[in-house]
Amino acid sequence: MRNKKIILFILLGFLTNESIRAQGSDFLNHLRIGFGGGANVAHIIDLESYNIFEDLSGTSYENAYSKLFQNIGNQYFVQLEWFNDFIILAMKPGTYTYRFSKFNEIVFSNETVEQETPYLLRYISVPLEARYQFDLLRFRPYAGVSAAYSNLLGSNDAANQTFIRPKFTAGAVAGTYIDLRYVILDLNVAYNAGLHNITNKTGRFETGSGATFAQNDIRLSDLQINLSILFSLQKQKHYSNVECFY
Amino acid sequence: MNIQHITIFVILLLLTTACEINQKEIKPEDGFVKIYNHPDEELALFPESVVELSQGGFIFISAVKDENADIEYPYTSLVRTSSSGEVMWTMEYDWLAPTSKLILSNGSVGFVAMNQQFEAFAVMIDPDNGLETAQHALEMTMPLYSYTDEQGKLVVLGYDFVTRSSWISRYSSSFQLERSTMLPVNTDLEYLVQRHLNKTGQDYPFFIGSYSNSSGTGYYVNCFYNYTLRTVFLDGSSLSATGDIYSFQIEEGISSLIQKSGNLFGITSYYEGNNYLMSGAEIDVLSSGNIKDLSAEPLYELTYKAAVMAGPLNTSVENYALFVSQTNDNSVVIYQYALESDSLIKTHTREFDQRVEVRDFIQTEDHGVAILAGIYILGKYQRPMLIKLPETPFVPEED
Repeated sequence: MRNKKIILFILLGFLTNESIRAQGSDFLNHLRIGFGGGANVAHIIDLESYNIFEDLSGTSYENAYSKLFQNIGNQYFVQLEWFNDFIILAMKPGTYTYRFSKFNEIVFSNETVEQETPYLLRYISVPLEARYQFDLLRFRPYAGVSAAYSNLLGSNDAANQTFIRPKFTAGAVAGTYIDLRYVILDLNVAYNAGLHNITNKTGRFETGSGATFAQNDIRLSDLQINLSILFSLQKQKHYSNVECFY
Repeated sequence: MNIQHITIFVILLLLTTACEINQKEIKPEDGFVKIYNHPDEELALFPESVVELSQGGFIFISAVKDENADIEYPYTSLVRTSSSGEVMWTMEYDWLAPTSKLILSNGSVGFVAMNQQFEAFAVMIDPDNGLETAQHALEMTMPLYSYTDEQGKLVVLGYDFVTRSSWISRYSSSFQLERSTMLPVNTDLEYLVQRHLNKTGQDYPFFIGSYSNSSGTGYYVNCFYNYTLRTVFLDGSSLSATGDIYSFQIEEGISSLIQKSGNLFGITSYYEGNNYLMSGAEIDVLSSGNIKDLSAEPLYELTYKAAVMAGPLNTSVENYALFVSQTNDNSVVIYQYALESDSLIKTHTREFDQRVEVRDFIQTEDHGVAILAGIYILGKYQRPMLIKLPETPFVPEED
C-alpha cells in the first residue's frame, strides 16, 4: 500500500511540474478539452468471506458476488489533456457507477433459498493517465498507466453503509486518437485494479432492512471502454481531410 | 489558489483517506451478527441463554421443539462458537425444557432442565466437546429459571404442581441443597406452566437476580405468588419473602428488573397492552407495593408483552444499565441508561427484515455486549441469532 501511495505522489508531482512548466510556455497550444463516457464491468475480488448464516448441521452456504459480465455500469466525465509530441497527461474527473450483486444461500431440507442483493455504487472519481502515443497521422494509438482517487457518493440504500468512502485504483489503458480535424476522438479500453478493501469493517452487518447478510471484504476493480470527444486549441495539422485531397 | 495550495490540499486529502482505508485494527470478533440455521424445517429453536468462555468464544443454549416428537416438551441443544461467532460444535441432549441461565462454574458449563417426570437437574458439560460430565438432582419440579449468584451458588425457580406453589431453592457450588422456600400461588396454574415450558402458550417473564442495600442482601424472583405474577424480594439467608411488587393477576407483570444502586431499581413492565419503563424507581424491598403506584414511561414501540432483558454494562469509561428488547418494526433495541440516575444516555437499534425476539444478553470481556435473540428466517423458521457489539457505541464520544 505504501509503495502504491508513493507512485501516486510521483505521478501527481510529475503532473504538477509539467503544469508549471506549461504555464510559462505555450500552454494553451498543448491543451485539449472534451468530454466522454462509456461502459464498465465491475470485477469483485473476494478477499475474505463473512457469512451471516451458520449451519448447525455442518453444511456450508454459498456466499458470493456476481460474475464480471453481469456487472455493467457506466461513467461520464470531463477530459482534460496536456500533450507534447509523445507524452500525454490526461485527467478524467466524473461520475463512475458500478453495479454488482451479492448472492446468499440458505439451505433447508426441502428447499434452498438464494437471496440476491443488488448494489449500485456511484463514485466521484479523478483518474489521471500518463500515455505514450505513436503518431500515425490520422490515427494515434497509445498505451499508458493510470491512477484514480474516488469518493463514494451518499445513497438512500442502507447497505451503502457497508462500504468506506474513498477508493484508490491503478491500472493500464490502451486506445487510439482519431483526428477528425476539428475534433479528436479518443477511444480506449482500461483496466483499473482496486488497491484496497472497500468494505467498512465496522459496518459490514449494517445491511439495512430487507437484506440480512454480511458484506465480505472485497476489492472493486473494473474494465472500462470509453469514447471521448476532444477539442484541441492547437492549430490543425496538415493531414486534415481537405489537405489530403489537395 | 495557486498550484502549491492545490498540491497541499491533495496531499492532505490523501492522508485523510488513508486513515479510513487502514482498518487493520478492527477484528472480526469485535462485532458481528450470526444466524444459526438448522436445515430441518420441522424444528423450532428457542434460544435461552448465552455465556462467554474464558478461552474465548460463546456457548448458547436453545430449547428445540420438534413437530414430530412424541414428547411435547422441547429438548436441549448447545452450540459452541468461536469468538467471531463461527460454529465449533453442536450437541443435543434428551433433557427437556432447559431454563435460563447457563451456569459457568470452574471452567465447566452447565444448564438446568428436567426429565420426563418434570424433575429438575443441573447438567454439567465439557466446553471443549459438549459431552455431559455430571448431573445433579435438584429435588424440585418444573424448573422455570436458574441463576448463579456472585458466590457461585445456584438459585432455581420451579413450580410444584402438588402444592400449587412457586418453589425457590438455593444450592452450593457443589449443587448441595442449602435452603428452599415455597410461595403459594393459591390457584392451579399447572396447565399455564406446562404451556410455558412446552413453548405453546404465553412465555412468562420469570427471572431471578440479587440485590444488596441498607436493608440487607437477598434475591428478587419474578414468579407466580398469591394469584399474581409478581416480583418477590427474598432474604439472602432464610429465603423468606420480605416484600414484593405486584400487578393484576397474571395478565400483567414486571418483565425485567435491575438494581441500579441502593433502593434505586430499573424496572420494565407490561399492562393494558403496552410496555412501560421505570428507569429510576425507589423500591422498598421490605414492603409490598403495586406496580401502578410507580411513575412509568410508555414504550409503545415494543412488541406485545415484550420480553425485556435488563442488566449492567461496565465500560472502560462508565457504568450503565441496559434494557434490551425488540420493537414492532423488527428491530433489536437497547436503551442505555445511567446507572446512578434515570437519565437515558442513548437508544441503539438494529433493524432486521424478519421478526426478532430478544432472549438474553451479557457483557463480554472486551466491555462490549453479546445479545442472544430468536429470528424467524424467511418469516417462518425460528432460529437463534447472536449479535456481538463492541464497546465503542456505548461510550461517550470524545469532543
